[in-house]
Amino acid sequence: MIVKRRQMNASVPAMAMGDIAFLLLIFFVILARARDDSHLQWKPAEGVELVRPATMNASVVIDKYNVTHLNGREIPISTLSEELKVILGENVAGRRTVLLKVHHEVTAVYFEPVIEAISEAGGELHHILEEYKQR
Amino acid sequence: MKLKRTKLLVEPPASATSDIAFILIVFFLVCASVEPDKGRAQTLPRSEPEPQKDKQSQNIEVELTRDAVIMNGNPLPKETFVKTIILKLADKAREEDKIVAVKSRKEVPYSHWMDITGIIEDAGGVITLQLEEEQTVQVQ
Repeated sequence: MIVKRRQMNASVPAMAMGDIAFLLLIFFVILARARDDSHLQWKPAEGVELVRPATMNASVVIDKYNVTHLNGREIPISTLSEELKVILGENVAGRRTVLLKVHHEVTAVYFEPVIEAISEAGGELHHILEEYKQR
Repeated sequence: MKLKRTKLLVEPPASATSDIAFILIVFFLVCASVEPDKGRAQTLPRSEPEPQKDKQSQNIEVELTRDAVIMNGNPLPKETFVKTIILKLADKAREEDKIVAVKSRKEVPYSHWMDITGIIEDAGGVITLQLEEEQTVQVQ
């Protein structure tokens, strides 16, 4: 007598797909937030004829508390130049763009050493500003 | 004679709630990620520890205070500064003569600094920063 083997059904339940996608999305959002600087508080200064940078190799933020951050991570100004040199490496001109996001009320005593450090590291400075609005 | 009303199904299907949540999250993420990413590029010469004084004296010197501009020692209103810098840079042919040394006092806000350096660059000037070096003097 031949006994037929019972066939096992191994399909993934389609009901759970949405939940899986939801959890994956939250995972990637948390991962991305640790790397970017969107959580920092700063208000850009105004400018005219603004352009979008072609490349972005590093991002430096001076927030409204006068604290300097490199790629979302707090950094002392004394080590900024060295860290930027490591990030920019041997990149050719045009691929050494450093975005500088400075809170509009930050004073020269804080932002000038940062500009100097970017210049010393051979970074191509791109100030991030807000389009001037006529009031 | 009484007619019985047929009951309508008003409960949304539970299997769709996770899809709705997913779509809602994507919507809020897109809304939240609108950050300013436009600005102005600025070319600065590499910093030199000891500037050449004989060359610097020929260049235009701009000093910034909290809300004013001083050009070659003369305080100027913003409108006059715009006209003067355009005139001064217009008759300079060589790139090295177009260098404008910008010296800022400690209390100068970034918005004012960007405003004035923007005017200089639009007039064809090349910005260099004049920073005060910190010196430690030991008193015996």
